[in-house]
Amino acid sequence: MKFHWFAQQYYTKLPADFGETVHSSWVTPPISVADPQQVGEDYHLYIRLMQQADTLGWDSLLLNEHHQTTLAMTPSPNLIASVLAATTENAAIALCGNSLALYNPPVRVAEEIAMLDCLSGGRIIAGIVFGTPMDTAFSYGVPPIELRERFHEARELITRAWTAQEPFAFNGKYTQLRYVNTWPRPIQDELPVWIPGSGSPETWDVVNALDYCYGYLSFSGKQSAAPIVGGFWDYTASQSANMNPNRMAFTQIICCADSEKEAEEQYADAVKYFYRQNPTGLEFATPPGYNTLPSIRANLERARTQSAEERTKAARGELSFWEYDELGYIIAGTPERVEQRVRELATELRIGQLITCMHVGDLPEQVAMRNNELFGTQVIPKLRDVWADEEDRWTPRVSQERVAAKFGANAGLPAA
Amino acid sequence: MTTLEIPHVGAFDVDVWEQGSGEPLLYLHGYERHPGGAGFLTRLAADRRVLAPEQPGWGRSTGFEAFVDVHDVALFHRELVASWGVDRIDVVGHSLGGMFAAELAVLAPQLVRRLVLVDAFGLWLDDEPALDPFGPAAEVAAAKWHGTPPEREPSNFVADPDDPHAAILFSARNLGSATKFMWPIADRGLRRRLPLVHAPTLVVHGASDGLLPVSYAHEFARLIPDARLEVLPEAGHYPQIEQEDAFVSVVSEFLTARDAS
Repeated sequence: MKFHWFAQQYYTKLPADFGETVHSSWVTPPISVADPQQVGEDYHLYIRLMQQADTLGWDSLLLNEHHQTTLAMTPSPNLIASVLAATTENAAIALCGNSLALYNPPVRVAEEIAMLDCLSGGRIIAGIVFGTPMDTAFSYGVPPIELRERFHEARELITRAWTAQEPFAFNGKYTQLRYVNTWPRPIQDELPVWIPGSGSPETWDVVNALDYCYGYLSFSGKQSAAPIVGGFWDYTASQSANMNPNRMAFTQIICCADSEKEAEEQYADAVKYFYRQNPTGLEFATPPGYNTLPSIRANLERARTQSAEERTKAARGELSFWEYDELGYIIAGTPERVEQRVRELATELRIGQLITCMHVGDLPEQVAMRNNELFGTQVIPKLRDVWADEEDRWTPRVSQERVAAKFGANAGLPAA
Repeated sequence: MTTLEIPHVGAFDVDVWEQGSGEPLLYLHGYERHPGGAGFLTRLAADRRVLAPEQPGWGRSTGFEAFVDVHDVALFHRELVASWGVDRIDVVGHSLGGMFAAELAVLAPQLVRRLVLVDAFGLWLDDEPALDPFGPAAEVAAAKWHGTPPEREPSNFVADPDDPHAAILFSARNLGSATKFMWPIADRGLRRRLPLVHAPTLVVHGASDGLLPVSYAHEFARLIPDARLEVLPEAGHYPQIEQEDAFVSVVSEFLTARDAS
C-alpha cells in the first residue's frame, strides 16, 4: 500500500476560545484572529515537514484546496506544490485537489498541473474535486445547482487539453474557447486522476467509468466512514468495475509516539484543538442544490455507525484522547500498535492509498517531526506487504521507481 | 400534467393549477414552492381564469436541466401560454416568480396585458444589501413574515405514505432549482431590461419583508415606465397570505381597471 503525507494547513495560533465563540470557522471567520506573519511561519512549518517526509519514504506529499477558513489556509494547492516540486526528490506531489468548477477558464488548472508535472519530473497526481459547499457555493459564489455540471464540463476540457495533438475549439455551456492549446504539457502520458467524494453515487459512476481513484477524505475515521467506503466497493462490484484497492484513498490522523502514555501527553491537546476549533455554520454546510436528490436520499437511508451524541462530542473536542482513537478518528500509540491498526483499516476497508495526517491543529513541530520519523521508519516499511501484488496506476511511475530505489524493493513498486 | 416541447430548448412536463373562467391570468409562484389552491388564488379565480404552473425544477414539474439562463425561463413561459391558445394574458409573479414575470414582459410585450410584481427578486441595491435567502434557516424564516408564521405555509406538496423522505426531497429540489437564479445574488441583469416593460405594472410589496426591503420595490417602480407601487402594511414576503383581503383587492382593482390606451 501507499502512504501520502498530509496536514490540514491549520492556523496554529487561534485564540483558545475561538471554537466556542465564532459562528463559523469557514466562510465568515473574523480575519482579525490571523497574523499574516504567523501564517507565513505556519506555511514554512508544513513545508519543512513535507520535505522531511520525502526523505523517509512517503509515496506522495498531498495538498488540498480550501477557501476562507482557519483550518486549511491553502486557497491554491498548486502554490505549495510548486515549492515541493523544486525541493523534493522522491515522493509524488498529490494535488487533492483543484476545485475545477471555480476556475474560468478551467484551462488555467490544466496549465498549472502540467507546469508542476514538468517542474517535478513527472511526479504529479492530478486530484480534482467538486469542493465543499463552504468553498464553492459560499466563498466562490457558484450556484450549487450548477456545480456538478460545471465540474464535469471542466474535467472534460482539461483532460482533453492535456493530450490533444492539435489546438481545438471548445463550445461548452460554461466555457467557450476558440483555441485550446495548453502549454506546457505534462511529462506523464496519462496523469493519475483522483476524485474524492462524500458518497454520491453519481461520482462513483464517473470514477468507475474512467477508472479513476476515488477518495473519501474525512477526519471521522474508520467507524463513521465504513458505510461509505463499503458502499463504494459494493457499488463498484455491482458494476463489475475495477476492484483494485489502489483506487481508494482514505484520510487517517496518525499520532505515533514511543509509548501510549507519551502519545496522549504529546497529542491530546492538538487533537482537541483540531476538532473543536472548526465549527462550521450549518447553513454553510448544507446549501440547497449542492447534493443531488439521489445523493440526499442515499445519505438519509445510509446506516449510521455512530450516534449523534458521539459526533457532537467529537466535534466539540469533548471525547477523551483514547475515545477518539477507539472510534477511529485518530490512530495513536507506539509504532507497533499503529501498524496493527492501520493494517486492520486498510485491509477491512480495502484501502490502497492511505492519506496519513501527520500534523493536527497546533501540534508542536518537534512532535510532528518525531511522528514522521517513527511512522516513516517503523510503520511504513512493515506495511508494504499490504496489497503489494496489486497494480498501481494511480500514483506516478517516476515516484514509484524513486521511492522503491531508495527505500527498498517493497516500497513503491508492486512485487514482481 | 401539461407536456410542452420547445425546439432546441427542451421538453417539459408541467403541473398546472387551473381554476375559473374569463380573462386569463398567469400566476408564477415564488422560490420556495407552488402555493397550491391557496385562498388568494381561489379568490382571484372567482371572476377570471387563473393558470398557475408549477415551474420546471419545482415539485413534480420537469425540464429544469434545459434552462441555460433566465431568458430560457421567459421563453418557456411564452411558449407555455401560447400552448393554451392564449394570445394576451395578465401576469402576476411573486418573489422569484416576479423576476420571471418581468423577464416575460420584456421578451413578449405583445403577450403581457398587465403585470403585477409581488415582493419580486431580480434587483440588487449596494446601499441596502438584501438578506441571504439561503442563510441561517431561523433567520430567513423570521425575515419572511410580519407576524407569527402560519402553522402551515401554503404548498402544493402532497405527502407520500411510502416515502418518509418526500418532504425533505421536495424542499431540496425546489430550493436547489432556485439557486440557479438567486445564487449568490438574485440579480441576472433585470435592471437593464425593466425600462423595456410595456405593460402597465403594479408593484406590490409587504412593508415588513425582511428578505427584500421596500426600497427594492421602489426601485422596480422607478425602472418600469408605467408602474405604480402599493406597499401593504403588516405583511412580509408573502402579502398574499398575510394580508389576503388587501392583496386580492388591490390586484383585482388593478387588473379590472380600464386600459388607459
